Amino acid sequence: MEIIEKDLSLQEKLNILADAAKYDVACTSSGVDRGGKKGSLGNSCAAGICHSFAADGRCVSLLKILQSNECVYDCKYCLNRASNDRVRTTFTPEEVSQLVIEFYRRNYIEGLFLSSGVCKNPTYTMELMYRSIDLLRNHYHFNGYIHVKAIPNAPQELIEKIGYLADRMSINLELPTAEGLHELAPHKTQASILKPMSLVQNRIVEHRLAIGKDPHMERSGSNRYLSGTIFDTAGQDRIRENASYPAVDSFRTPSLYRPDPFVPAGQSTQMIIGATGENDYQLLTTTQKLYQQFDLKRVFFSAYVPLNEDSHLPSLDTAPPLLREHRLYQADWLLRYYGFQAQDLLSNERPNFNILLDPKCDWALRHLELFPVEINRADYATLLKVPGIGTKSAIRIVKARKTGVLTFEALKKIGVVLKRAKYFITCQGKMQYHLRIEEDFITRQLTGEDYKSSWEIDNPQTYQQLSLFDDNQFASAQPIFSDIQKSLHGQL
Amino acid sequence: MIVYTCEDSFEAILTCIYDAWASGLGHRNLKLMVEPVGNLELFCEYRHVDPDSTKVESVIRSIHKKISGYAYQMIFRCAMSCSSEKADIIYRFLLLGFHYGRQITDMVQLPPVLALFELDRAVGNEAHYFREFIRFLNMRGNVLVAHIEPKSDVLTFLAPPFQDRMPSENWMIIDDNRKSAVIHPSDQDFYLTTLTEEEFKRLKTLEDPDDPYIDLWKGFFETIAIKPRENYRCQRSHIPLWYRKHATEFQNPLP
Repeated sequence: MEIIEKDLSLQEKLNILADAAKYDVACTSSGVDRGGKKGSLGNSCAAGICHSFAADGRCVSLLKILQSNECVYDCKYCLNRASNDRVRTTFTPEEVSQLVIEFYRRNYIEGLFLSSGVCKNPTYTMELMYRSIDLLRNHYHFNGYIHVKAIPNAPQELIEKIGYLADRMSINLELPTAEGLHELAPHKTQASILKPMSLVQNRIVEHRLAIGKDPHMERSGSNRYLSGTIFDTAGQDRIRENASYPAVDSFRTPSLYRPDPFVPAGQSTQMIIGATGENDYQLLTTTQKLYQQFDLKRVFFSAYVPLNEDSHLPSLDTAPPLLREHRLYQADWLLRYYGFQAQDLLSNERPNFNILLDPKCDWALRHLELFPVEINRADYATLLKVPGIGTKSAIRIVKARKTGVLTFEALKKIGVVLKRAKYFITCQGKMQYHLRIEEDFITRQLTGEDYKSSWEIDNPQTYQQLSLFDDNQFASAQPIFSDIQKSLHGQL
Repeated sequence: MIVYTCEDSFEAILTCIYDAWASGLGHRNLKLMVEPVGNLELFCEYRHVDPDSTKVESVIRSIHKKISGYAYQMIFRCAMSCSSEKADIIYRFLLLGFHYGRQITDMVQLPPVLALFELDRAVGNEAHYFREFIRFLNMRGNVLVAHIEPKSDVLTFLAPPFQDRMPSENWMIIDDNRKSAVIHPSDQDFYLTTLTEEEFKRLKTLEDPDDPYIDLWKGFFETIAIKPRENYRCQRSHIPLWYRKHATEFQNPLP
């Protein structure tokens, strides 16, 4: 039984369709720099701009709404699935444009994030979305950021037409394995998700080649100092720039005609974590493959929030696995900015992240033979592998040491987290304190320091009973089957 | 100890630096301060310096020539800070800067450079936050007005991005603390000005409290948060309470 309300106020519609859209995580306005134009409204900033932060601490950058929350599909995890009894409504293209323009003028938002339930069929839905964006771009002359979610099984022409108007497109992978997808989203297949993804990728490549750029999306500028990043090894077809020719970027098409940009900010995707039994290693290798094969700009992770009761899903009282999500994002950054590969961080033998330590500390502890590192001499790539040194502080170190020697005092001021880094670095051949470089000792020290912040990520807004003992308990460390067996046999 | 004092403006600070430098007293024996000077120290002589455009020009010229344009930008941002020690920090930085030249901006291991670097970053961050968090009110007559109460004088950094963002709109951003405003008429360049009490009062009467988009935005903002993930501490670290003073979504929440 569905109720389709005809005469809802704009406020009610907005609340319903924003409520239905909020579980999508990709609310970034990044990836494209575009100046403003007289006569039109808006610009875009590659770093992305957050305009507010909601009560859950997530940034509000774009007006994140659904075109419609009517849906013919019945994906088990989704709030808008056909079998849920909810008030259904649809925005007209005029309403979407009005909201975006007026919110944008007041500096509430940086642009639009438009997704949709499948209303009637994918073609009808996608066409409605196209009309909204076309109205916004060509009638209201909106020049800000637009992120559009492509609907699986929508026709190719519509996806292409939207691609010429949008800044970023995304198709949600939802679940990393085909089996998981089959179980929870019976109307979608992995092929129907990957097909539009490669379509968008091909159009992006065509456009980039047409304007004389490298076919692959730009990555962090400091990646050029690294070797063996996941983007280097992305297929053998990657064009190696030859030093004897001018850089590809300096070419410009000779004619005045410049083709319209196609999805200039690239595409992204999203995976739900914790709804099915995938381990972190599977998730991270899938992520890496997506970056390499589809040249995605971002892969987002969304901790599963139970909304529906279903025998295939975790029960309704499951807490969202926030710490696991956090660890995956940390690893994602290590892949994109620090030159790590998924195989470095996890393996089939150790398929999940350490809940007590961040992935970089964890990696460093398993590779103590590489440490300590001499700050005044180590290259950028080596500095980046030290826990407590990020991209910014590594660049500052490299620049500052050209003119003089760096001391621990200066490192601290530069922004190095000495609390973590002190076990792994030397300045002029000396460590900060007399510390043993021994795995057990360092692990004990680091977990003691990070325990509080890790616990807070998984248990926001709550407090813990004082205790004389280290009874670290994490929601994600649930008893496994063998523990239950052991307790039955009296071994535990 | 000789203390050179000047009013709180970019020109005055540079003139003060010029005079302190030219005094030949020795860098260790002098200090620079921005007025008002709160606590007077014993055994100090206070000398007030008035801004002088030729001295300002010569300081700017030497910064560009002997150090770099980037260093000049850093110094300008620092001069807009609310710190009372900014004049002295800039002076100590220039001492080293004129010695080392262009590379000085990378030498963050030197304490005077680091002090300038930190001040520059603080002002830059504040300006960036206001770029994100200022909210325009739609006035009668289709003029957008935003009020801010920043610690540092960030108006000059806010105006260019907004000119790029909304070139064909009439808008103004008002710094309530300093009673100054940047005004952008549609399709023209923006300019800085100061506002009188009467003008403030008149602006108040032009506000449109029935703007429907205020409630729409508040409703959206409340809906978009996911209940099981609620985390106010995280929210406060991203948007500290003092930035929320004029943010629409944090004022009189919906019933």
